[in-house]
Amino acid sequence: MIEDPSSSGSPAARLDTAQVDASCRVPLFVLFGSAVSWAVMASVLALIASIKFHSPDFLADCEWLTYGRVHAAAVDAQLYGFALQSGFGAALWIIARLGGTRVSQPWLIGFGGKLWNLGVLVGVIGILAGDSTGFENFEMPRYAGWILFLGYLMIGLWTALTLYRRNEGRLSPPQWFFLAALFWFPWIDSAAHLLLLVFRVRGVEQSLIDWWWSDNLLLVWLSLTGLGAVFYLVPKLAGRPLHSDPLALFAFWTLILFGSWAGIPAGAPVPAWIPALSAVATVMTSIPLLAVAVNVRRTLAGHCRALAANPAFRFVGFGIAAWLAAGAMRIAGALPGISPVTSFTWFGVAQSELHSYGFFAMILFGAIYCSVPQVAGLEWPCARSVRAHFWLGSIGILLSAVPLAVGGIFQGLKLNDAGTGFVELTKATLPFLRASTLGDLLMMLGNVLLLVNFVRLSVRFGRARWAPFCASFAADLKPAEVKP
Amino acid sequence: MSLESNQPASNTSAIQEPQARAGLAPVWLIVLMFVLLYCGAVYFDQNGGWFDSRVYAPYQTYTELESFQPKGEGPDLARGKAVFDTICALCHGANGEGKPGQAPPLAGSEWAQGSPDRMIRIPLYGLSGAVSVKGQQFNLAMPAMGAALSPDDLAAVLVYIRTSWGNKGSVVTPEQVSAIKAKVGNHPQPFTADELNAIQ
Amino acid sequence: MSCGPLVFLAAFFALAVSWFGLVLAPQFQVGRLQQETNVVNKAELYPSARPGLARQGLEVYRAAGCAACHTEQVGQTGTVCDVVLIDAGTNHAALIETLIRSGLGRSNPGQYLSELPKPVRQGLNKDEADRLATALKSAGAKAEVRIVPVGPDIARGWGKRRTVAEDYLYDDPVMLGSLRVGPDLANVGVRLPDPNWHLRHLYAPRLEVRDSPMPPYRYLFTMRRIGWQPSLDALQLPGEFAPPPGFEIVPKPEARALVAYLSSLRTDAVLFEAPMTAPSAPAAATATNTPAK
Repeated sequence: MIEDPSSSGSPAARLDTAQVDASCRVPLFVLFGSAVSWAVMASVLALIASIKFHSPDFLADCEWLTYGRVHAAAVDAQLYGFALQSGFGAALWIIARLGGTRVSQPWLIGFGGKLWNLGVLVGVIGILAGDSTGFENFEMPRYAGWILFLGYLMIGLWTALTLYRRNEGRLSPPQWFFLAALFWFPWIDSAAHLLLLVFRVRGVEQSLIDWWWSDNLLLVWLSLTGLGAVFYLVPKLAGRPLHSDPLALFAFWTLILFGSWAGIPAGAPVPAWIPALSAVATVMTSIPLLAVAVNVRRTLAGHCRALAANPAFRFVGFGIAAWLAAGAMRIAGALPGISPVTSFTWFGVAQSELHSYGFFAMILFGAIYCSVPQVAGLEWPCARSVRAHFWLGSIGILLSAVPLAVGGIFQGLKLNDAGTGFVELTKATLPFLRASTLGDLLMMLGNVLLLVNFVRLSVRFGRARWAPFCASFAADLKPAEVKP
Repeated sequence: MSLESNQPASNTSAIQEPQARAGLAPVWLIVLMFVLLYCGAVYFDQNGGWFDSRVYAPYQTYTELESFQPKGEGPDLARGKAVFDTICALCHGANGEGKPGQAPPLAGSEWAQGSPDRMIRIPLYGLSGAVSVKGQQFNLAMPAMGAALSPDDLAAVLVYIRTSWGNKGSVVTPEQVSAIKAKVGNHPQPFTADELNAIQ
Repeated sequence: MSCGPLVFLAAFFALAVSWFGLVLAPQFQVGRLQQETNVVNKAELYPSARPGLARQGLEVYRAAGCAACHTEQVGQTGTVCDVVLIDAGTNHAALIETLIRSGLGRSNPGQYLSELPKPVRQGLNKDEADRLATALKSAGAKAEVRIVPVGPDIARGWGKRRTVAEDYLYDDPVMLGSLRVGPDLANVGVRLPDPNWHLRHLYAPRLEVRDSPMPPYRYLFTMRRIGWQPSLDALQLPGEFAPPPGFEIVPKPEARALVAYLSSLRTDAVLFEAPMTAPSAPAAATATNTPAK
């Protein structure tokens, strides 16, 4: 990891991978490290929420842990604490690498990350204290939103600058996706913040903006960032170039054009044209699904088995499969024949979980497992826990999402049958909820493994960095040994 | 353990980031996109209510929604009574009995049960001068009390007057009121009984 | 697409189009609504803002995250018409003939004319219902067509019609909910009007609903020593839910506010967007001197 002094002044000179990675160190440690801690925190909160379904008296006397608050806190911690933050980190690393430049102002980005974390902490505590806004996926109170936005400005601006200062003129597919994502988030966040919390709109317009925000964050932003990572990692891990540039472009365009209109549920109390347009757009999102599937499959073309031994690839491969499955579930839920059955049921929750955790989190875990050793120059202390994390995470999400989806369909069928009493309906879904709690537990354990691994790696890294200083300091302190 | 299986052994070599080849987007996918767009357009045509802000599912068009609205099956007597009590009863009495020296009676009045065209003009433009009601002579001035009312409200109160207290007048519709307003236009002076008698 | 500005423009364009279509355009349609006149009771402006305690209760609802398990929106899958015979008139033979021709059975036709007013045909579409009503009127009877919204939510008694934008005009924030772990609450003020039921249900859900998965909201109540005499506000709780002897459970202001909010939840005004025949009240006295029926 020797820095080449001749190339540090001129932006046109391509840098060494190692030099690029070294410049990513501070931001990635802040962003990924915090993301991993928030993943654990979010899964603990989600587990508590999940347990309350079959044991409603669990922690019932604590006002701060009542189901409505702890569920909202879990969702927002997972989204803002883990998903957005690790997405920023992956975007930064891949943009820097593809551009062949050092990260612009890594310490500022690191500071932005710290600010972001402060915002998430304040927000989660605010939700638990009862200041939730009441909007789904946007429960963070107003005061936290300002801190988050400020943190993002620092992260986003200097990531964009890093992209701007790239050595390679052409942009490749991952860079399109990340650039779009970098721009997408501040616009939807500021629009939602201003219209819902500052200049409050009236009536169901609030719900429309909330649905617009949720869709653009969960479907579009998570897909843009996750696919950016996919289009970088899959060719890298396979050692072959991406099959088709135009096809990736096609997937990009169709994702942002159609994906941004999906999200208004079918029964919404709004004029009929809005859910109708949304349903059409949701069905159209099958096009980017297929485009990406074809592209990835042709890139891998028969090398899957060889790559499956690579733990990072397993995460990425599972993530892609989960994205396709969640997308298929979303499209099924929007079809006019099926949506009356799946509306207001656990099916939607299962689809959302499969998308956020099964797709996005798993891909980002793969990116973290790939990037951190490169950036830190150290291997993961425990290779076995990487493999264990994969199994815990993948089985966990399947155990969580599949029973919820099946339970949701039963719940929907019973909801549509007026003869079925509501209590009977609830009892019928309990076994599925118990299975999904087990899945949540496994996912939490997997996240804990990653956190432990990350902490150990950081400690080792710290020791390696400071060892020379410590040694010389200790040598200065010790009186010179006079040997007779 | 190497997480990047094909990473070159030496990290200090120049970056060999993968470059995408320019393959073609499959035609079937583009065709599928257009097919889905067409199906979507058909679905929207049926279920979108054509961007009308009042049409909610399951209604499909504004016309369909309108057809389900409760029609004025008969006159809205409750509304008419409300208007009468507010505006007319002060002078004409709560039961249309009239107040001598103030207003003629409406109950049993030939004016109230006679031609709608005449009766509509009275509250719209006022009535002044000598007028004979139920054999009695009145010589007063009635201001245009109904000029500010909407056609719906005026029609409702007229129907109420024409069918209450034993009156057997015909129903008056808001369209009739609007037609009279349009026909007569601006008429600053109140009508006289003679002018009204000239109208059929 | 190789250059940065082009990618940026593409993303800008896509997001702008979506913002215009899903945020701005609906703002013009539903974001600037005003109170509407009830189609049936024209003196009523709907909706009215929630009274003070109910408004505070909405904040308690928001803070507790009730929308995580309860929705506040009623759906409707269709609208049918019932034809109701109000008065049989004098020409019973022609009337029964008309009824039989419209599809009713021939056996025991006298039953059609007993216990009026009653619906004679249900579930028709608008044209059929109008035709039948006209035919009945020309046979000398008095009949009316009733508009009846139908759907699983309505069949469950969760509402009389679907909810529309107008129903949420004075709510801030609007918490429609997206998951039905618990029943829909859009009309719970009509369905469960007793505030004490709600207080007991909040304190111990399983007291009122067996096997309910709803967590108890005991933090909304205070357990305190009974003073000179039991408080009038104390909850009457049986058996296992009762407080220890000498203590009573009293709702906090937040609990009262929440219950006031729940009791204010109703969406059964007849609106243009959601037509239905209002549930009939007993016939009021008419404006003439004839006595009320």
